[in-house]
Amino acid sequence: MAPLVELVGVGKGYGSATAVHPLSLRIGEGEFVSILGPSGCGKTTLLRMIGGFVTPDEGSILIDGRDVTRKPPEKRATNMVFQGYGLFPHMTVAQNVAYGLRIARVARTERARRVAEALDLIRLADLGDRAVSALSGGQRQRVALARALVMRPRVLLLDEPLSALDLKLRLAMQEEFRRIHAQVGGTFIFVTHDQAEAMSLASRICVMEAGRIVQDGTPEDIYRRPASRFVAGFIGEANLFEGVGSDERVRLSCGTVIPGAGAEGPIVCVVRPEAVTLAADPAALPDQCDARLFATVEDVVFLGPEVRTTLRTDSGAQALALSRTAGPLRPGDRVTMGWATADQQVIAA
Amino acid sequence: MRSMAHIGAALTAIFMLSPLVILVIFCFSESPLLAFPIEGWSLRWFDKAFSDPQFTNAFRNSMIVTGAVGVTSTLTGTLAALALAKLPPRLATATAAALSLPVMVPPLLLGVALLTFYSTWIGLPLGLPAVILSHLVFTQPLVMLMISARMASFDHAAVEAARDLGASPIQSFFHVTLPMIGPSITGGTLIAMALSLDDFLVTFFTIGGGMTLPTLMWGMLRKGIDPSVNVVAVTIMGLSIAATLIGFRLTRYRG
Repeated sequence: MAPLVELVGVGKGYGSATAVHPLSLRIGEGEFVSILGPSGCGKTTLLRMIGGFVTPDEGSILIDGRDVTRKPPEKRATNMVFQGYGLFPHMTVAQNVAYGLRIARVARTERARRVAEALDLIRLADLGDRAVSALSGGQRQRVALARALVMRPRVLLLDEPLSALDLKLRLAMQEEFRRIHAQVGGTFIFVTHDQAEAMSLASRICVMEAGRIVQDGTPEDIYRRPASRFVAGFIGEANLFEGVGSDERVRLSCGTVIPGAGAEGPIVCVVRPEAVTLAADPAALPDQCDARLFATVEDVVFLGPEVRTTLRTDSGAQALALSRTAGPLRPGDRVTMGWATADQQVIAA
Repeated sequence: MRSMAHIGAALTAIFMLSPLVILVIFCFSESPLLAFPIEGWSLRWFDKAFSDPQFTNAFRNSMIVTGAVGVTSTLTGTLAALALAKLPPRLATATAAALSLPVMVPPLLLGVALLTFYSTWIGLPLGLPAVILSHLVFTQPLVMLMISARMASFDHAAVEAARDLGASPIQSFFHVTLPMIGPSITGGTLIAMALSLDDFLVTFFTIGGGMTLPTLMWGMLRKGIDPSVNVVAVTIMGLSIAATLIGFRLTRYRG
């Protein structure tokens, strides 16, 4: 099936700085894609190119098979939810939501029906006559969403829509986004710098670093099989052990040799903290822990559902283990860290 | 402490407003002398001023100048502010400073400079067109600065959102940009008109033979004070207040 949105060699620079290196991306109908990266990685520029607010220097953008590279935003089947919302301060909530339909000359009764439907969808049905200035941050966010959704866009673009909200509201809105995506369908492209937000919302994540997409996959893929040291460090927490790989074995910098298929030469072995088991006596480690490393406990923090143990390996690297139970460990104890090599990812450094 | 502050504020207000109140009171005094006690009330000074052909002529000239300056400085000032908003920030600051230079020149110098410029350089005859051009020199930058200040805190995402929802550049300007900066434009227009209406120095040098209300007042004062001068002053004041009230009414916040 042809993709709904297709970017072919799209690149953009500002003066001598490159915001987005030429990249290609295909997004299918109904996908919920998150573009994730630290600030300045080019993710917003990429989104604005899809929306028509930035013209790429090279490459072409196709939406539904039609080349829209040079088309202005008003000629594209995309609608955007802006980071600062961009609501019209001189209009009421309902007028804001109705604006696009008014421009499209949708008949008055049809317009009223669709506005009511959109306000219903974002659960603000009673606030249609309110001034935008009388709304809370979370409500403004919803109005911005309704204003875009009422157009029934083929592609909904969201530019860090939750960044201005506090944590509790952000979590509530994440749930709303999931519900709305399930309810209206459509393709959502969501830009964020918050990896937890990307993981919880999207069915597909494109991780960007310095103007390039460095990994593109499902949240689980990216978490379990990070393609680079950057991705491993950016998505969740990770132990990164440096070493040298050869013949299906890895010699870590502390001298320990563990089984490990993957890259040859200088490598980084990525182990998620929850995959690590700690034991004062190596013999007490379960059999599946075929990779082992000596370390010293630095701190033990009880967090309720889990216990966070920070450690220092004998080569001086910092390490982290998350476990259900605290065990009898104390700072200063010598322990063995064990994990199953099936849970590790060896990538070229 | 609070009551002291209130008394202080009241005294300041009285000090600032009392000259205006006295100015208005003497318009209605029977006596040709500007002195208390007032022995009787009359509208004769209004009659005298309004039936004076010099007054009607000056009034007409003031209206022409103020109207033309208001419309023109609003147009050019707004366009300049919109253009500034599109420039890179450093260039915009430099351009705004250069365009605002006339505001910093003392009006006396500006008047002399314009007189020399018109008569010896470009051969523009003195008169109302020359006065209008001269007023634009110092009103246009003010309008521009007021609208630029608004543009600085302007939410450009709102304009982008309008485009995103299908509006053409022209539609988004009239539906979103203009309503959002409208109050600043009206405010700028009113200030430009108020400055033009009561400008004496620049007008004096560039009008040649005619008169506007302020230059008429100056002429009357040289012949000796009688309350019809106050009537002219109150007319100017009334027009300014009316313009301001209309402005507030037009730009009141529609939530």
